Amino acid sequence: MGSGMWSTDVYTAADRYRRATGKSAFSYSDSGAKVVHPQLDPRGATRESRDSAEHPRSTPVTVLFDVTGSMGHVPRTLQAKLPQLLGLLLRQGYARDPQIMFGAIGDATCDRVPLQIGQFESDNRMDEDLGRIVLEGGGGGQMMESYELALYYMARRTVTDSWEKRGRRGYLFIIGDELAYPSVKAAEVARLIGDDPREDVPVRQIVDEVTRRWDTYYLLPAGSHYSGNRKVLDFWRGLLGQNALELDDLDAVCETIALTVGLGEQAIDLDTGLRDLDRTGSTATRTVSKALARLNGARRAEVAELPATRTTGGGVVRL
Amino acid sequence: MVVDLGYGDAGKGTVVDWLCATRPVHTVVRFNGGAQAAHNVVRPDGRHHTFAQFGAGTFHPGVRTHLSRHVVVDPLALAAEADHLAAVGVPDAFDRLTVDGAALLATPYHRAANRARETARGADRHGSCGQGVGETVAYGLAHPDEAPRVADCRDPEVLRRRLTALRDRLTAELGPLDAPPVADCLPAYRAFAERVAIVDGSWLAGALRAGPCVFEGAQGVLLDEWHGFHPYTTWSTTTFANAETLLAEAGQGGSALRIGVLRTVTTRHGPGPLVTEDPSLPLTDPHNATNPWQGRFRFGHFDAVAHAYALAVAGGVDGLALTHLDLTERDLDLRICRRYDGLDRLLPGPAGDLDRQAALTARLLRARPLYDAGPANWPEMIGEALGAPVLLTSHGPTSAEKHVRKEGHLINAWCRGRAPS
Repeated sequence: MGSGMWSTDVYTAADRYRRATGKSAFSYSDSGAKVVHPQLDPRGATRESRDSAEHPRSTPVTVLFDVTGSMGHVPRTLQAKLPQLLGLLLRQGYARDPQIMFGAIGDATCDRVPLQIGQFESDNRMDEDLGRIVLEGGGGGQMMESYELALYYMARRTVTDSWEKRGRRGYLFIIGDELAYPSVKAAEVARLIGDDPREDVPVRQIVDEVTRRWDTYYLLPAGSHYSGNRKVLDFWRGLLGQNALELDDLDAVCETIALTVGLGEQAIDLDTGLRDLDRTGSTATRTVSKALARLNGARRAEVAELPATRTTGGGVVRL
Repeated sequence: MVVDLGYGDAGKGTVVDWLCATRPVHTVVRFNGGAQAAHNVVRPDGRHHTFAQFGAGTFHPGVRTHLSRHVVVDPLALAAEADHLAAVGVPDAFDRLTVDGAALLATPYHRAANRARETARGADRHGSCGQGVGETVAYGLAHPDEAPRVADCRDPEVLRRRLTALRDRLTAELGPLDAPPVADCLPAYRAFAERVAIVDGSWLAGALRAGPCVFEGAQGVLLDEWHGFHPYTTWSTTTFANAETLLAEAGQGGSALRIGVLRTVTTRHGPGPLVTEDPSLPLTDPHNATNPWQGRFRFGHFDAVAHAYALAVAGGVDGLALTHLDLTERDLDLRICRRYDGLDRLLPGPAGDLDRQAALTARLLRARPLYDAGPANWPEMIGEALGAPVLLTSHGPTSAEKHVRKEGHLINAWCRGRAPS
């Protein structure tokens, strides 16, 4: 006589109705905005992930994605998918009190809006940040974007109780398809973030700084211009080791992030996580399995061979 | 008006689809149940949709759906269903939907409470679908002035207050519920109110004036809240009663053709009596998989005793639609049960005497079926056994595989008389 055929998830329903009104999820950008939304302007701003009575053990998760032209339709797909992330983390219990922040990365040498950083939110307000992101859509063709600026911001302008009170790193996911510039330029930092670092910071140094406090991953998705390009993957593998992942189906991005966090929090092993996905009817299992197999294997190898001081990892190696 | 004279799954969806395929239907009106309905429609071009809240005529351009106040509305599931409809080539389902503002809202709190209760019943499950429809009705009866309703979605403050009260009451009773915070729910309900036309009870009279309407029942009469086999029932009036009430309010009481849908094998999804159950029947149902809430889909021989009871409970029909005749064309030993051992007839009792219904259930759980061989002419024989003509037969999943029997001129005459001028 009946069944629970259609999803009853509040986190997707709002988005479905929004799409059904014909209103773009990127309403700010699509209304013609060419400057960073005040809520997402990194200049002079610090972003904090704090514990509260309601969320006593916050776990910060940051997702930054490339919004330049080479990424094609990717940002729009991400915008549709990412609101599910919080629900995934919460429902499966992969992380205590997750607080999620979204942001966008462009090219400081030619873009009007090279860096956009939202707020850590533990509810649907993060959707609103996604809607305020300006999609730059341009980009140079030199196969470089200002990822290093975003890394600088994460290293020096974020504060988390998770780290300060408990010495636990947060999770940083960067989704993109190009190289970073070789160094963080002092002039760009002054102009866009408002700091005065006096001299340029080599990208290697900023990666070391950021990975000390953030368990950092680079996701190279299918459908982007340079996906599958060895040069890009090799570049990020050089900086982040096994944490540079290829993703052959962008629709699986939320599940990949959620399982990565679940693995990091030791809430699950990969097999359990994949079983969870199957049970919830996710179609992403194959992609996630493929993307994370390396990670899972690499982590096990790390236990056997490496002390907890690999250059890409910084602090504690979680298994 | 289309209702199922069994335990559901007889093919209301395919009959409603056929009605909309063969005449100028203006609106399909839902008058009971909620998002737990699963009315499968397969188009001749192979497209398939399981209708839960949208009317089963939605594949036909221009055919509207109205969710009356007797429906428990779940805007979250509705959004997912509209998404799937768009994926199978129906992008404008929301544009053709009206919802009565007085209808109760099913929420994640009802759903979580429903699951918590059903899980606690262990082996004594009632066969709930786990969608919280019964929980919503129960709360609506206990707190009629505070139960969240569709119209509240237009007023976030009222809705916030009502959702909070609902969550707090259910949590106090059952402990922590696996459901999102109230603040997270509000944007989805607000978006629903912005997208969907919320109307009042007077809307239906206009629709009835504008053209023929089909009233699509959900579930089956043998699951009726008052006349079904308690406690294996649904919190819903599954007979024609709600539809007749709506018609009477619109000044058209008693004017609609009453169609009862039956399947050549009697089926049930979930626990409870199924006297003619025969696990040796080599049948499966493509749309009813085994699930954690209802278990396995059950098949039995045609139970004329139970269906005659349903017919009496429903107050009679103008005609029957008989589906799955293609099964009788296969080499299966399908039989018909006209009486049980020591029991020839089941008599309807007064509405609401649940002790009596529970006693009847106990009796049925012990009853043994007596069989006659399956006949050469199933529609003829079933028409005789139940004392109502079979108007329409169905030999496959699509509307193209329906045959109007000679008695079926009734349907067409009725429709011609109601076509808009």
